[in-house]
Amino acid sequence: MNTKVNVRDYEPIVGKSYIEELRMLASRLSGKTILNVNSTFVGGGVAEILSRIVPLLNQLGVDVRWQIISGDAQFFRVTKKLHNALHGKAEFISDDDFSLFLETTERNLSQIDFAGDILFIHDPQPAALIAKKSEIGKKWIWRCHIDISRPESKVWEFLRQFTTNYDAAIFSSPNFAQQLPIRQFFAPPSIDALSDKNKELSAEAVNAVLTKYGLDSDKPIILQVSRFDRLKDPLGVIKAFELVRKNFGCQLVLAGGAASDDPESGEVLQEVMERAGGNPDIHILDIPAESDTDINALQRAATIIMQKSLREGFALTITEALWKAKPVVASAVGGIPLQVKNRLTGLLCRSIEGAAYSLRQILANPDYGHWLGRNGREHVRQHFLITREIKDYMLTFLTLEHKEDVIYL
Amino acid sequence: MAIIDWIKDNVAVPVLVFLGVLFLSLWLRRFTYNALERWLNEKRTEFGKIIISVTRGPFLHWLLILGAYIALQVSILAPPWKSLGGKILASIFIAYLGWILIRLSRELIRLYLNRAKVPQAAMTVTMSIVQVTIIVVGILILLELWGAPLTPVFIALAAALVVALIILHDVFPSLVSGIQLSQQKQIKVGDLIRIESGEEGRVEEMTWKNTQIKTLDGSMVIIPNTKLMQTTIINYGKQSKVVTEPFQFSTRLHLRELTGLSARNLSQLVSRLKEAPDAVIYYHTHSFVEEYQFLTPEPTNDFALWIRDALGYDILAERLASIDTFEFPTVGALKQTIVAVIQDFLAQSSQEREAPLGSEFHFIRSIGVVLPTPYVAYNLREFVSALRRISIGSLYFHIFEARLRLQRGTNDFSLWLEDCLGEKELAEQITRLDPYNYTMENLREIIIRFCEKRL
Repeated sequence: MNTKVNVRDYEPIVGKSYIEELRMLASRLSGKTILNVNSTFVGGGVAEILSRIVPLLNQLGVDVRWQIISGDAQFFRVTKKLHNALHGKAEFISDDDFSLFLETTERNLSQIDFAGDILFIHDPQPAALIAKKSEIGKKWIWRCHIDISRPESKVWEFLRQFTTNYDAAIFSSPNFAQQLPIRQFFAPPSIDALSDKNKELSAEAVNAVLTKYGLDSDKPIILQVSRFDRLKDPLGVIKAFELVRKNFGCQLVLAGGAASDDPESGEVLQEVMERAGGNPDIHILDIPAESDTDINALQRAATIIMQKSLREGFALTITEALWKAKPVVASAVGGIPLQVKNRLTGLLCRSIEGAAYSLRQILANPDYGHWLGRNGREHVRQHFLITREIKDYMLTFLTLEHKEDVIYL
Repeated sequence: MAIIDWIKDNVAVPVLVFLGVLFLSLWLRRFTYNALERWLNEKRTEFGKIIISVTRGPFLHWLLILGAYIALQVSILAPPWKSLGGKILASIFIAYLGWILIRLSRELIRLYLNRAKVPQAAMTVTMSIVQVTIIVVGILILLELWGAPLTPVFIALAAALVVALIILHDVFPSLVSGIQLSQQKQIKVGDLIRIESGEEGRVEEMTWKNTQIKTLDGSMVIIPNTKLMQTTIINYGKQSKVVTEPFQFSTRLHLRELTGLSARNLSQLVSRLKEAPDAVIYYHTHSFVEEYQFLTPEPTNDFALWIRDALGYDILAERLASIDTFEFPTVGALKQTIVAVIQDFLAQSSQEREAPLGSEFHFIRSIGVVLPTPYVAYNLREFVSALRRISIGSLYFHIFEARLRLQRGTNDFSLWLEDCLGEKELAEQITRLDPYNYTMENLREIIIRFCEKRL
């Protein structure tokens, strides 16, 4: 996290009154300690968001702390398998794997200092720490950042025995939630408007990136940012582009990297390259994961941003695109419909032909594209910025003690 | 005889000259001051009266010193003694003149700055500056008179001046600004002002250096007078109509609780709807106001949106969207109408459509958290100022939620404006507004416009 970022820096983005409300909520949490527990301080979306949220909450005056569980490589291999299985991917998980998970949890139970009034546990890896609740009490919240809408049943049943003991759970989308006997809240993930990936860039900086990747700044750019994965349907994107290219002069940019934990990604990249053939208007950019500013510049240079995924989590790439006031064409899967309200903040599609039709609509009517883009940016400003996530967390902490529909604090 | 002759030769002339000057002085003083008094009686100026009262006595003394000086010059004393005596008399004259000038300046500054209602601190600083200047000039003249080397003195003075300027670099502009502000009477204690940079509040105190304002959220803002002189200020003046029961702005934040209930077709939707608590219906008929506050007039409620996008029933979606939420005093009544419209549609359709997998309708409950904000208004002007600053959540709470909370077909603003300020017409104007037809920012602007017409 950029340590120079101050909560006041968000005032020009969300408004002074919004930050005032955050301070008001923070003052109601005075005297309470919130302890976050996850599996790592660096790498991964959860660590990234915590590294931004914890300092901001501290600046607001909330005593928020952060600890991680420890485990050996074998433990994290098991949790990776659990993660994939919860996502719906077929995984073989043996009884030994479950035993290892529980043994590591047991060790962490004795190592972690549970000094907090509210224990805020992130994702499945530390979920079994709830065993401590019978000993120390306190309020426990499970924050599920992943899509568990179609989990592998054996793994979900294993995890469910822990989650049902929490006081509440938070999910990123109503689609991701499960039938649980505890209170469940909805808090979508967010982006940080001041991060390298989303901050404002000068026209020179954007042009420099276009030059770096050999892109024509005078030709409309259709962009999809995603790792090379069949679920992101890169071949479908090329097909849709080719349908559009017959009538409109434009170029396609598929920007992403090969995922280290996905052995198929190299193979998919090869397929995409072959499918693109020698088409000079199709640019396949294998960009390293840490190239946030390059991605930012490509998104800002794009005319339309696509996310034609077959399966999707929340799709923060769409949030980033909307924040840059770009018209988006995206599949109605995962968390995308929460962000792309069809014909209001972007266009939803369910087929290659539908995607091509939407692209043509925007290319032929730039003003319509700008209108969608402006609405999309406002939609993100209201719902998908880090300040909103901070607000939702504080509201959840304050709501735990109440059952009524309207709470007067 | 020798003594008499000696006196006649050596003392008589100087004494006669001195006495001559004395009589001339008395006559001159009477003539001058009588003429001055006549003139002042016509003009009725305090300024002249001070000059007369302060200088009448010393004027005679100065002329006597002049007489003594002339007498000395016509005496038989040796030139060195004459020169020494002349210097002593000149020195007395300069010191005396300086003292009188200090007294005069003090009286005049007090008169002038009191009239301008300049704070005491500014007056003291001004007097000190003038006194120091007179003393320094007097000392320089005396040194020049006695032939002392002036170069080191000038260097020391220049150095002292530079140090003083560094230390007091912001004192002079502040002082001038403070005096100008007071003199121009554009801002007074108690006025409600708004400056270009956005600060707004009531003037609590004005010093020679700063102006303190108390903002609507109760915090004190100290604005340097120099800044105040260089910026655009809107002065709303004092408000005559101040109420004892102020309007306390609150805000409502909401948290979304998942009920775990969902629907894939109209039958499931209507069945769940019948059992859904008010907090769920409230969320799905009101969340759009905040979620799409930048859009108007579409969409109107989540049910219409889902039925159009996920099920493709455009006609039913249109009928649901056209339900006027504004007409319903309770959420329960609104729910009954929504259910009736869907059931009516179902009765006429032969086959049901299913939403695609992943596009189910999820029932969400709204948890409202209400907090008082620091904004409080005691009159209409303060009310408008606070309206400009409150969050969308606050506006939402007092307009939208109030209708359902009060169940009186009105809102918090209208109630207070009528009951506490007696602004019946304005209250009715706001009550008549259908808030569901505006974006939140438009609504804010319209209410402000209504209020400003009354100011």
